Amino acid sequence: MERHRNSVTSKSKSYRMSYRSSLGAAASRLGLTPALTGRRLDTRRRAPKSHNITEKVNPEQLALLTKTEWQLSYVTPLYRFRHTQLKSYSGQLSAFIAAGKQQGLAVEVFDPQTAFRVSFSVVQGMTESDDDADTVLIQIHSKPLFARQDEPQKTVWSGLLTCVNANPEYLRSLPEYFICLPLFGSSGAEGLTALVKSWFQQSFDCCFGPLEISHTSLQWLMALWTNCHTESSIQHLKMIWTLPAVPPLQVTYTVNPEDAWELWSSVRKTRDKRGGEEEENCIDIEEVTSFMQGLKSHFYRHFKLDLSAGSLNQVSTALGSAKSSGRMKISNSRYMITTLALLTECALFKMPI
Amino acid sequence: MDDSTKLFLQRFMRRIPSYMLRTTLEKWGRLTAAQQKSIDFTQSKWALTEALLTICEENKLAMKHLIELEMIYIMDNPNQGMWYVLQLLDPEDDAHSVELMQFKEQFKSHLKELVRHVSIKIKNHTDQAVWIRIAWGDAFSRPNHLKPTFGVHYLQTPYVFVTNLTSKQKPLLSQAVVLSTRYQAIKDANLSGRKLTAIRDLLMRKYQQVFPTKYPSPLAENNQTISNPHIVKEQAEPAANRLHMACKAFGGGALPQLQSAVYKLKTKFRDDPNKTMTEREEPFRCVVKFESTNLLESLRHCASSGIASTPVTPLLSCIPLKGRNYFVITDNDSGPSSQTHQPQN
Repeated sequence: MERHRNSVTSKSKSYRMSYRSSLGAAASRLGLTPALTGRRLDTRRRAPKSHNITEKVNPEQLALLTKTEWQLSYVTPLYRFRHTQLKSYSGQLSAFIAAGKQQGLAVEVFDPQTAFRVSFSVVQGMTESDDDADTVLIQIHSKPLFARQDEPQKTVWSGLLTCVNANPEYLRSLPEYFICLPLFGSSGAEGLTALVKSWFQQSFDCCFGPLEISHTSLQWLMALWTNCHTESSIQHLKMIWTLPAVPPLQVTYTVNPEDAWELWSSVRKTRDKRGGEEEENCIDIEEVTSFMQGLKSHFYRHFKLDLSAGSLNQVSTALGSAKSSGRMKISNSRYMITTLALLTECALFKMPI
Repeated sequence: MDDSTKLFLQRFMRRIPSYMLRTTLEKWGRLTAAQQKSIDFTQSKWALTEALLTICEENKLAMKHLIELEMIYIMDNPNQGMWYVLQLLDPEDDAHSVELMQFKEQFKSHLKELVRHVSIKIKNHTDQAVWIRIAWGDAFSRPNHLKPTFGVHYLQTPYVFVTNLTSKQKPLLSQAVVLSTRYQAIKDANLSGRKLTAIRDLLMRKYQQVFPTKYPSPLAENNQTISNPHIVKEQAEPAANRLHMACKAFGGGALPQLQSAVYKLKTKFRDDPNKTMTEREEPFRCVVKFESTNLLESLRHCASSGIASTPVTPLLSCIPLKGRNYFVITDNDSGPSSQTHQPQN
């Protein structure tokens, strides 16, 4: 353990240095400053390709991924996390949770006498590039409180560790034995989430932190989802704003999907078709902000209320929903990869290294 | 007492909060003084229910007595459930001289003609309000007392407030009300809310509407933050103007507690920088819902603090002005149109 600690500290120092050198020092949050600072959110993105991952991914796992609302966190790279050791990790986490229960933690979820089972599984078929580590799903099964004797065990807690389309330079700059799975999602009781996180922190010397979805990311999601309307109908574009009045005023602004699509198309810049398909599929941040501005102006014209005075809390369409508190639901498996890529980027961006 | 009466009492006891029970029973007046004294109100609800059941059986009380009890409770606590407002139109010549007794008799007889099995109870409340409780049955079944409709009509006004009215029952109630009040038609007033007192006050302007014009400066804040005196001086007049216009639109003082307002917009998109959308013929369809614990206060605060530009847009000031909180806005008229809306039940 001692040796492990030392090697980690020395590795983390070299890791910090190599990371900095590969991506530039100062963090710029707005993403629009010129190229000196490297570390910023992309200002251009590829339009979401619909990936038919239903064929590549195990349907049970896919169902879990699309039906759950995940509470997101970022996690720093894991030291010596091996995808081959998942069975042993299940056992270790089980023991850790059992010890926690003995101490009286997480008793509100399932009573101390009930047996529970932890399973770690790999989700094959989600990675785009070879650099990305495979996604890992964690599930805790148990009989919930007040269940009858003959009721089968249900999943009471699920967790997700993933990395989609991370910056390859960054990945290659990581020291040996570090695995990057920066996006962590949890669904279930808070007590269990805390237990799982502390086990990870102890075993892999990593740090967790909350991942709020920023206003810019919410706008990106809005635009990216609306862009998909011709392929899969978004059914509605709903935004929830909170204005700082006394008492607070909540505004739910729902736009008809066809009209949202028309507005989106009207703000897209004409592109030079000679650039090829890749060029055509790119979306610039200016288009995203024009889209949002159009929606706000239409609102202002009617109500003389400036939505910029408030904050955007939630964006949802039939393809998924995202809340600024960091809760995310991806309802359509076709766009899962692209949405997770955006969130991976947010997680990497938010990491305090 | 038969089973359905017992069930009714049990349901009622589950619903009423314990602290209200004593006063409601006293107002009901069907328990003797000794019986009232004998009830230990500190018991659990279940025990209280049993005690009350025994007493009611002793007094040989029936359903018709119990529904009085329920009505007393609802009349004292009207701010629950969802209330919708209906408005009577085109009064006949004698509409204004309809008296209480006349209305009661007429309403009962008209509704009984329309619905074979129905149980109607009418009580008048203190402030010109007539409360109506209707338990609906049909040609084959007896009235269902577990899901009664409540209606409140203020004589001398064209308004009827209803709660728990299904879409099948609505035309029947409407017909009976129209005939008994001597009007010709009835429509949705497009106003709904959880608090009966709030929507009533909003509609009948029973709150301080006009802001006293002699108010010289913005209201003093409770927490005096240290602010730059130059800014304060510069902003004093615009702030006073905003406050004045906000209060002109919504009223000064305490405002009725509305929870939400919904606007269905079907207007053309107009944002001059965006030429493509401006030239588009079709409307830009969207729905905007405003929600707050006290919507009118939030909106007034938006106007006075500058979040909303003043003068307040007619779309928002329409809420207190016309007493509505559901609007369908099209390009045809400059203000909100008065299209009808079916309240969801």
